[in-house]
Amino acid sequence: MTNTITRELKFPQSPEKVWRALTDSATLAEWMYPNDFEPRVGHHFTFNVPAKPGKFDGLIVRCEVLKCVRPSELVFSWVVGEVNELNTRVSYRLEPDAEGTRVLFEHSGFEQKQAFKGAEYGWKMMHGKLAHALERAAQRMS
Amino acid sequence: MIQSEPGVFGAISHPARRRILDLIADGDRHVNAIAANFDMSRPAVSQHLRVLLDAGLVTEQRHGRERRYRLAPERLGPVRDWLSHYERFWDDHFERLKRHLEKRDER
Repeated sequence: MTNTITRELKFPQSPEKVWRALTDSATLAEWMYPNDFEPRVGHHFTFNVPAKPGKFDGLIVRCEVLKCVRPSELVFSWVVGEVNELNTRVSYRLEPDAEGTRVLFEHSGFEQKQAFKGAEYGWKMMHGKLAHALERAAQRMS
Repeated sequence: MIQSEPGVFGAISHPARRRILDLIADGDRHVNAIAANFDMSRPAVSQHLRVLLDAGLVTEQRHGRERRYRLAPERLGPVRDWLSHYERFWDDHFERLKRHLEKRDER
């Protein structure tokens, strides 16, 4: 178990097209959430995650553009909570891949300290036996 | 997106308690068998077990005078889930991104 989420995504569209989908505020709102993103370093913006009545109270994600190199690299912070309970970082690296684009995505910085207000819990317990026990429990529950 | 269960997270915040959970993940154990893995005193081990019991992460079985401890992994759900919530979150959104780009191509 890691505290970074990584994905490798492939798109048949060109890096320019993918870049536009990642950095144009209106387009970004179509596949993410309403936002006031602007593609320049130092710009502060938010994603406004709408509430689901009875299920989820809604959420504001506060971000700052940390890196913005068209059309190859976009990095922004991703902060959630009143006292920055979750202070993480999202990055996209775009590479040409034949006619299309390969995107390396990373959401990093899931520190337990930040997420759970001081609980110094490490993910190492998720390795090995305990992880298997969890798997079994999950199977039983589903 | 993120669930918090202070009882569970507090309980697993201590390395000795994580170690205990790892030990009993294999199967039930007597307190002595657990204590044998630690330098600390048996009462100290019992105290950690008490925290785990209170959080519902461990259950206690009595066989005569003997007490055995068993992992209750269901309670670890919130711990396992909080990062996987985020993974699902992104996977869903990248699906949407893909569909969005396809739609654009058709125009």
